[in-house]
Amino acid sequence: MLTFQENETLARVGPGTATGEMMRRYWVPALLDWELPEPDCPPIRLKLLGEELVAFRDTNGAVGVVDNYCPHRRASLFFGRNEECGIRCVYHGWKFDVNGDCVDMPSEPAESNFKDKVKIKAYPTAELGNVVWVYMGPPEVRPPLPELEWTQVPELHRGVNKVVQQCNWMQGLEGGIDTVHINFLHRNLQGSGIAARDGAFRRSYAARVEVVPTDYGYTYAGIRDQADDSLKYVRAYHFIAPWTQLRPVQLNRGGGVRLRDSGHMWVPIDDYTTMVWNFTYSFGDEPLTEDERLQVGSGNELGKDIDYENGFKSRAAAENDYFIDREVQRTQTFSGIPGTNTQDRAVQDTMGPICDRTREHLGTTDRAIIMARKILLNAARIVEDGGDPPGLGENVFDLRSVEKVLPTDVYWRDALWGELYDKAQYTPEYVRA
Amino acid sequence: MLNAEDNALITRVGPGTPMGDYLRRYWVPALLSEEVPTPDCPPVRVTILAETLIAFRDTDGDVGLVDNYCPHRRASLFFGRNEERGLRCVYHGWKFDVNGDCVDMPSEPAESNFKDKVKVTAYPCEERGGVVWAYMGPPDRRPELPNLAWAAAPDSHRYLSKCRQECNWLQALEGGIDSSHISFLHSSLKARDYAINASSRGLQDAALHDRSPRFFLEHADYGLVIGARRNTAAGRYYWRITPWMLPYSTIVPAEPHAVMTGNMYVPADDETTLVFRASWHPLRPLTDAERHEYETGGVFHELVQPVTYRPYANKDNDYLQDREMQRTVNFSGIKGIQAQDMAVIESMGAISDRTREHLGTSDSAILGARRRLLREVANFQEGVEPAAANDGDMYWVRSAAVEVPTTMPLLEVAERYMAVEESTLTKPSTT
Repeated sequence: MLTFQENETLARVGPGTATGEMMRRYWVPALLDWELPEPDCPPIRLKLLGEELVAFRDTNGAVGVVDNYCPHRRASLFFGRNEECGIRCVYHGWKFDVNGDCVDMPSEPAESNFKDKVKIKAYPTAELGNVVWVYMGPPEVRPPLPELEWTQVPELHRGVNKVVQQCNWMQGLEGGIDTVHINFLHRNLQGSGIAARDGAFRRSYAARVEVVPTDYGYTYAGIRDQADDSLKYVRAYHFIAPWTQLRPVQLNRGGGVRLRDSGHMWVPIDDYTTMVWNFTYSFGDEPLTEDERLQVGSGNELGKDIDYENGFKSRAAAENDYFIDREVQRTQTFSGIPGTNTQDRAVQDTMGPICDRTREHLGTTDRAIIMARKILLNAARIVEDGGDPPGLGENVFDLRSVEKVLPTDVYWRDALWGELYDKAQYTPEYVRA
Repeated sequence: MLNAEDNALITRVGPGTPMGDYLRRYWVPALLSEEVPTPDCPPVRVTILAETLIAFRDTDGDVGLVDNYCPHRRASLFFGRNEERGLRCVYHGWKFDVNGDCVDMPSEPAESNFKDKVKVTAYPCEERGGVVWAYMGPPDRRPELPNLAWAAAPDSHRYLSKCRQECNWLQALEGGIDSSHISFLHSSLKARDYAINASSRGLQDAALHDRSPRFFLEHADYGLVIGARRNTAAGRYYWRITPWMLPYSTIVPAEPHAVMTGNMYVPADDETTLVFRASWHPLRPLTDAERHEYETGGVFHELVQPVTYRPYANKDNDYLQDREMQRTVNFSGIKGIQAQDMAVIESMGAISDRTREHLGTSDSAILGARRRLLREVANFQEGVEPAAANDGDMYWVRSAAVEVPTTMPLLEVAERYMAVEESTLTKPSTT
């Protein structure tokens, strides 16, 4: 439960809000690189953290992200002509380059120097891991690019896409880091085929949740009993402030292990809409299969589930009750809704545009959610006080999530240490949250 | 640039707002006569100056414009029965005439006189030039109808359309008086196809020769004389002169003996505008080819959906912008002058945030119009009645587009070239 004011602080992300200013200290994932496939291709609309923007790829291939509104008469630059290293407004021909400089103003007299006085808001961009990232914060504290492992593997080892969710970003994030609901919302009534996960059903549906705060967020695990009393199934994740989760997908149906990791980023479009980024990758020698790359079955398949020609909207949505099938719900799955992440969107969206957290009732298995709120509220306060928020350091680049069946008598974090913090053998600094 | 307070003052038009009250001193174009074509035809919804109304043509052919909400239980009179000189609510059968009087109340006992105590809001209407004009101000201030030249033209000389724009009226008006965007937004990439107006060969040359016109303003009793001056290759001046007639009428600059186009940017509500647009020739009937072009071309007059008058090219489909066309054919990639205007004007948002714009010298007409409107409203709030509302003859002007020697000042150009050609027109007598 949060107070009304805390809830507002976490939910609001526009310019000048506490959380909005905190988020502007990070590189923001904005576009899939193929949305701007070639130099001088059509510009596209982009909304990030409540700001209406237009993105274009200029003649040199550089991506520009500028204000949607031309500074002259505030016509939308979306209709603009993307030509000769700049975007030109169709209304009076003012032209801006990727830096936001006005490089041509043909509607004013030739002797005028008004052109040199006008700039348009423009944000630095970078391309990494098939994603265009935008930095919207103060230039003097621009951090290094978020070179997480998934952005560094070869292209065929990676699948990344995105989908719009019709609710506040925090609902998406909380739903993502909540490991307990998978035994319910995502349950297949016949079992998942993954023995370690199904094992919990024999005794109790309730996973135990343990959270270990770090300087970037936290590591946490859902721990489930197994039929064999000497074993436990540990699913260990990372939460990297402010919006990233690493989520293990290593256990195969029918047994065996895959060298895979995956995760999400819940990035606010505005206070009431979220872009959920879904990534999955192979850290082994073999690339992903095509089905893995397309994230088939997740509810996040471009085309089938996500209408990428129409703003990356989810085809399953509130207006069609997320395609719930009551007969399937009776006989096959717990929810009757097709697709894992569709199920997530159904429950998260329907809490309302911004969940009223003054009226919830949290239990012990919600401690990861509670901790994330504390860390984020704290991060917003740190930035307000002039400090740096968590998760900006290069030490997050080597994190991986892990799932494994372990003996009951070992501490999961010790047992999985080398894998969770893999390459750098990084020792996270404990923080009091 | 305006401050937030002035921007709100100048854009909000509901009852009781300063601009709303000011606008209610004028006759307002409310709908096309053809929307209520015959006596006792179905009633239609009309939103004007942020009031939700119903228009109907009664058995005698008179147009009534009444509140949408039946005063009884506030059901919409849109569903009503238009019969025997009145509009009858389908809910309990109350019936109102064009004056707003309740002429039947069958749901009450026969001996009740409740009927005589109930009225529905009703506004006086007049028809002229194919438009139903309404007067929504205080009855004792009822002004003259504006003597607009296009409204006086015979039906054979005029093509009239209506189009809904999804933005505030001032944005639409500002687009209409901004002459500098035509060198860009409306330009073709092939010089000789410059498709502004079939009659504007002079513009075709001058706009390409000089893309940054100088603007000159002269105040008139009716509003502003807006002159855009371009240098021509021949060392003369090409003037395009737009009369802006208070509060929302303009005439697009046109050369002598050409078809002209007049616009009225009428606020439906704060975030919606109805553009009434007339193309007319002052001296002759329109040809079949011209009429056909206006009806089907989608260039000079929007192609709109029935009933709602929303254009088929609208913000939901990005105004049917074609990026390939933008690369190879025209500057915007959008077909039709009106759709091009709508795309940029609506894209500023429902009410443009004028605290954040950057106006240059080529925007002086827009600045002048805003200052004039603010002054009109300020004067009105101090008790000065708007002069133009009370003298319909002030509107008897036309636009101009002429090439003249550089020695001729704007006022002289205006005097010579802005008189309405009257050979076949009869200026209506003032009512």
